[in-house]
Amino acid sequence: MSLKKNDEMDHNAWLKRQDLTVIETAFLTTLIWVDKRLRIVDYLELLETMYYRANLQMPKSHTEQYDLDNKFWYWYPLYSLGSLSIIAYLVAAVSGAMLGFYYSPSTAGAAAQGDPTAAYDSVVMILQDVQFGFMLRSIHSWAAQFMVAAVFLHMLRVYFTGAYKEPREVNWILGVVLIGLTLFFGFSGYVLPWKQLSFWAAQIGVEMALATPIVGEWAAQLLFGGFTLGQATLVRMYILHVFVLPFVVTSLIALHVGIVWVQGIAEPH
Amino acid sequence: MTDDNEPMTDGGTDEDARTDGGPPATVPPDDETPTWSERKERSQGLAQLTYQYFERSRREDEDLRAESTYVERDVLGFPAWPHETIRNLAITSFFIGMLIFIAALMPPHFGHPANPGSTPAIILPDWYLYWSFGLLKLNPLNPQLAVLDGNILLGNEFLGIIAHGIVFGAIGLVPFLNKGSARRPVEEPFWAGVGVTGVVLSLTLAALAIQNFFPFELDLLVTLTFLLPVLCGIITYAVLKTMREGYMYDLNRRYYMLRPPK
Ligand code: HEM
Repeated sequence: MSLKKNDEMDHNAWLKRQDLTVIETAFLTTLIWVDKRLRIVDYLELLETMYYRANLQMPKSHTEQYDLDNKFWYWYPLYSLGSLSIIAYLVAAVSGAMLGFYYSPSTAGAAAQGDPTAAYDSVVMILQDVQFGFMLRSIHSWAAQFMVAAVFLHMLRVYFTGAYKEPREVNWILGVVLIGLTLFFGFSGYVLPWKQLSFWAAQIGVEMALATPIVGEWAAQLLFGGFTLGQATLVRMYILHVFVLPFVVTSLIALHVGIVWVQGIAEPH
Repeated sequence: MTDDNEPMTDGGTDEDARTDGGPPATVPPDDETPTWSERKERSQGLAQLTYQYFERSRREDEDLRAESTYVERDVLGFPAWPHETIRNLAITSFFIGMLIFIAALMPPHFGHPANPGSTPAIILPDWYLYWSFGLLKLNPLNPQLAVLDGNILLGNEFLGIIAHGIVFGAIGLVPFLNKGSARRPVEEPFWAGVGVTGVVLSLTLAALAIQNFFPFELDLLVTLTFLLPVLCGIITYAVLKTMREGYMYDLNRRYYMLRPPK
């Protein structure tokens, strides 16, 4: 096509034609400058559409229409347990990342049986030498416990409000997987300081794995790095705790909440 | 092919200023791309079924909307700002505040370094795994499952693993066993009873895990572990069943006032 300028689209002339204040001129000039390069008008239109959608008149909810809230308001706080699980998870993630700066997953350094290992020593170092380290470990540990408690109570809330029924079965199954992974998260973290109880908890884990027919030995090698506990066990638990589980659990939580978003919260009947 | 004097796309006529390469040459407009309805007609097998189902589902949705007696309301809910935002901030900061407060008050214990050579007297996981640990201590039950002259059929640990499978499996099956639109515990006393049984069972199993702290006989503890939950379940069932009639009457009355039966 020919490249002659079309006068109608001369925005600058249009600007001059009008009687504008300095602020208005500056605003419009900036807007036009950005829009010519990034075409933001399209996005503004999208935002506008979303705004009007969100403010549409919505049908009354079941609870409102049948005036059921008077029986229900005192259950509402229980509906925040899912979000509280997420908050506790975030606190654990942040404090855990900071603990990770100082922790070393190694059983080296024990001259005789029962001597402290490098992993144990690094936790002692966190407790005694690192600024705020004692508090940090305490917060991490309690965040984990708050999360497990919140998840368990969230499951009870879903059960006793019948929120798992059609069409939410998939989210319930996903939840069962999530609570299992949350517990395993706690277990793998419990092993990391390599103290007496860590070791013997892991020992029970290995024995359970080995007692399973067919897949048992394979599982023991995959999760614990062998049939007896040692450096391999610690590193595997470490990688599970700080790499594999965070990714898996975070994505599953995102999926879980995404499904809730799509399906809506189950209305009490 | 048309003549060479085809007007330019911007309506100009100056042949020297032509930059658009002239009118279309030999390539006919591409009508090979099927339209939406053509795709639907042409498709077969699974694709066709998918289209058909989508159409049905959309029609069903429209019908339901048309029939709906739902009353419109003016606003969807509280405004996101400031109501929801402040409420969420309040809940979040209270929760994190309590977390930090408790963390400061009760720092976790830190024990001795691992010693593969000496088994501690009490091995315990964190409290939230007590129930799982309790499932591993079901071995007093195991001899009762024995068939061949006193030999146990399953290893004690394997019994524990099966028990875990049963617990998770049973929880996962719930939505497929309990169907229907009832939501409240009073509407389904049986399932409320099952729920209470489960909760109490998780507590008694935890008690079984720390059996050393209980001064009575192991046999009694194992019996209580299973008896107590069932008892609590039955009580729940009885109470809710009794409440049910009056409660449902009240609920139904409110439904019928708004939507009288035809
Ligand atoms: C990491 C653990 C979990 C997180 C972070 C989480 C998060 C959430 C959130 C934020 C919601 C929105 C409603 C609410 O907060 O009550 C929700 C709903 C739901 N959750 Fe979870 N959840 C978790 C575990 C579970 C478990 C263990 C179950 C059940 C076995 C479960 C089943 C459901 C179901 C069925 C819904 C839909 C409830 C409704 O629509 O009313 N979730 N979840």
